[in-house]
Amino acid sequence: MSTGAPLPPEPSPGAPVTAGLPDGKDTAPDAQADLEWRRLHPVTPLVRGWAVIAVAIFFFGQQSVEGMAAGEGAGLPTDSWLLVVGGLLAVGLVVGLFSWLSWRMMRYAYDADAVHVHSGILFRQQRKVRLDRLQAIDVVKPLLARFFGLAELKLEVAGGLDSGVKLGFLRDADAARLRNALLARAAGAVEEDGSAPVVEAPERQVLDLPVGRLVGSLLLSVAAILLLLAAVGAVVATVVSGNVGVLAPLVPGIIGVGAFLGGRFTGDFGFTGAISPDGIRLRRGLLETRSQTIPPGRVQAIRLRQGVLWRRFDWWRVEVNVAGYGLDMGSTTQASTVLLPVGTRDDALRALWLVLPDLGTEDPTSVLHAAMSGSGEDHGFTTSPRSARWLDPLSWSRNGFAVLGRGLLIRRGRLVRSVVMVPHERTQSIGVTQGPLQRRLDVGTVVLHSTTGPVIPQVVHLAVHDAGVLVRDQAERARDARKHAGPERWMEALAVGEAIPEAGVPEAEPLARVAAPQPDESPVPPAPGPVGEAPR
Amino acid sequence: MTDTTDSELFDPAGIEWQPVSPRLATARFILLAVFVGGPLVVFAVLGAVLSTTWPWIVAGALAVLGVLVALVVGRQVRSIGYAERDEDLLVRKGVLFRSLVVVPYGRMQFVDVSAGPLARKLGIASVQLHTASPSTDANIDGLPPAEAARVRDRLASRGEARLAGL
Repeated sequence: MSTGAPLPPEPSPGAPVTAGLPDGKDTAPDAQADLEWRRLHPVTPLVRGWAVIAVAIFFFGQQSVEGMAAGEGAGLPTDSWLLVVGGLLAVGLVVGLFSWLSWRMMRYAYDADAVHVHSGILFRQQRKVRLDRLQAIDVVKPLLARFFGLAELKLEVAGGLDSGVKLGFLRDADAARLRNALLARAAGAVEEDGSAPVVEAPERQVLDLPVGRLVGSLLLSVAAILLLLAAVGAVVATVVSGNVGVLAPLVPGIIGVGAFLGGRFTGDFGFTGAISPDGIRLRRGLLETRSQTIPPGRVQAIRLRQGVLWRRFDWWRVEVNVAGYGLDMGSTTQASTVLLPVGTRDDALRALWLVLPDLGTEDPTSVLHAAMSGSGEDHGFTTSPRSARWLDPLSWSRNGFAVLGRGLLIRRGRLVRSVVMVPHERTQSIGVTQGPLQRRLDVGTVVLHSTTGPVIPQVVHLAVHDAGVLVRDQAERARDARKHAGPERWMEALAVGEAIPEAGVPEAEPLARVAAPQPDESPVPPAPGPVGEAPR
Repeated sequence: MTDTTDSELFDPAGIEWQPVSPRLATARFILLAVFVGGPLVVFAVLGAVLSTTWPWIVAGALAVLGVLVALVVGRQVRSIGYAERDEDLLVRKGVLFRSLVVVPYGRMQFVDVSAGPLARKLGIASVQLHTASPSTDANIDGLPPAEAARVRDRLASRGEARLAGL
């Protein structure tokens, strides 16, 4: 553990609020008197208030556009515009006042062990987030905040909805410095003089996403095909009926799908992934940029997935379960569970390597290739028995699992291929279920319970005997792995030689083991030529 | 139904299953009577008063449903079992759709003991274990309150001894 020495004073956003509380009214429980309380950047209320107005304008705009599309004349009559603008101003004023008040009340501080946040106007809240429980840190810069050079810091901890802390907005440099300081403390990194380092840990970029591939992947998605079908249908309907009005019911759907695709594009634009001693660094975004840091050992499960449309280019999407991210339906948080929006097979393997540098197997490359595109019992896989073909005629011989030293590798699906890896020490509990049909066919489904997220690790339709053995042994493996798992403060692990990749090392020595599959070894030859790379 | 193959999967060797209180079956019968029997009577009366056929059809459907459920309730309750091993808790349940959950004590985040008015009247309570995963369905229904409290405390102390992070 690092010492509790307070940080050397840094230039802080706004005027640093002294330990004596700002208005004297707030009598917080003490023993925190030595904390240096800070405020967020004073522009925060403006940025927040503006966002609300923008949303109002957006909804209003959408309403009138849809109104026009539905053939209700030209939206609103002109004389009500003044009213609308006045209303918006009033709303903006109220919201602005509220945001200003909440900015006044919001203070934060941190020490070696925790981040403290005090907030609330009427209902006061004091939150203390333990840094050794930190699951991830995101730095988010919405478009407007970028104009001001501001950023929001999101600290994710495991704890259901509304857990964690949002510190926004801070100046870019301050946000970066705060993130580095918090990560260093969370890591338990200590410098010679006993203070925690504030410099950013060095990183090495290992993943990127060319625009061409991003566009291609979106064109080859179900949403794009729906859009195309809708367009074709619309044209046909218009020609047949000779009336443009028949298009009206389609408009909201087209807008929705278009917004989804647009959101994917702007959200994943310029994606890069890097490795650093602080963990995995992900950056993405065209308008709103997001830079995530997932410390080592925080990924609970990882899934590589390939829809049938992507097979020609052998593209994969990689998603992870991280306890703090959960599965909030907000599009932004949904994006944060994506470790790689779309990438080649090598990229996907590299993404997996970021999470699990060591799979604990002799020949990770061939095992992973078998998991991605193989079938049958090769490379240590146990698959569904033949009887399962009645339940899953297409992929019964692909569905299965392989036990590796560091985790359980689960393979599933023939049309939509997916490969799930759960580190043994991250297994929460294990379940096995059997329905009446499965019982007749002597098969059962084994589920490894993971934290909330997009990945649901389950091995479907295993032979009863295999399922029983898997449940029994997996419980044991999980127990053993937990005993040897690294500490929550991951830098302390480095001292005992835990297998955490060193980012400062220029040559990619461990990388070469997994992420450089030899083409001749690959069970399925890679797509001919650099198809996936070429922008089309 | 044969138990030859299932025994392997849902009844691993060397495990002594603790059954739950048969009063759970009583509780479920009462609930069944209220939520199926009640409407059944209403529709039957309706049919008799209005002398039309459709309420009778609904009543008949409800009666069939009630009988079917009543037939399995006893077996359902008997199928529930739990076992405390050294390192983990096992919970199994289900007749048609069977399930078994293995929860390591160290993964436990919190334990709930709850009892509704009917359950309190009958002297049963339910214990639910929560891990960091919402899909962990380790719920033991129908324990006598004293046993529920004992299980809760023992789980909590074992969890503490084997505490692990996420």
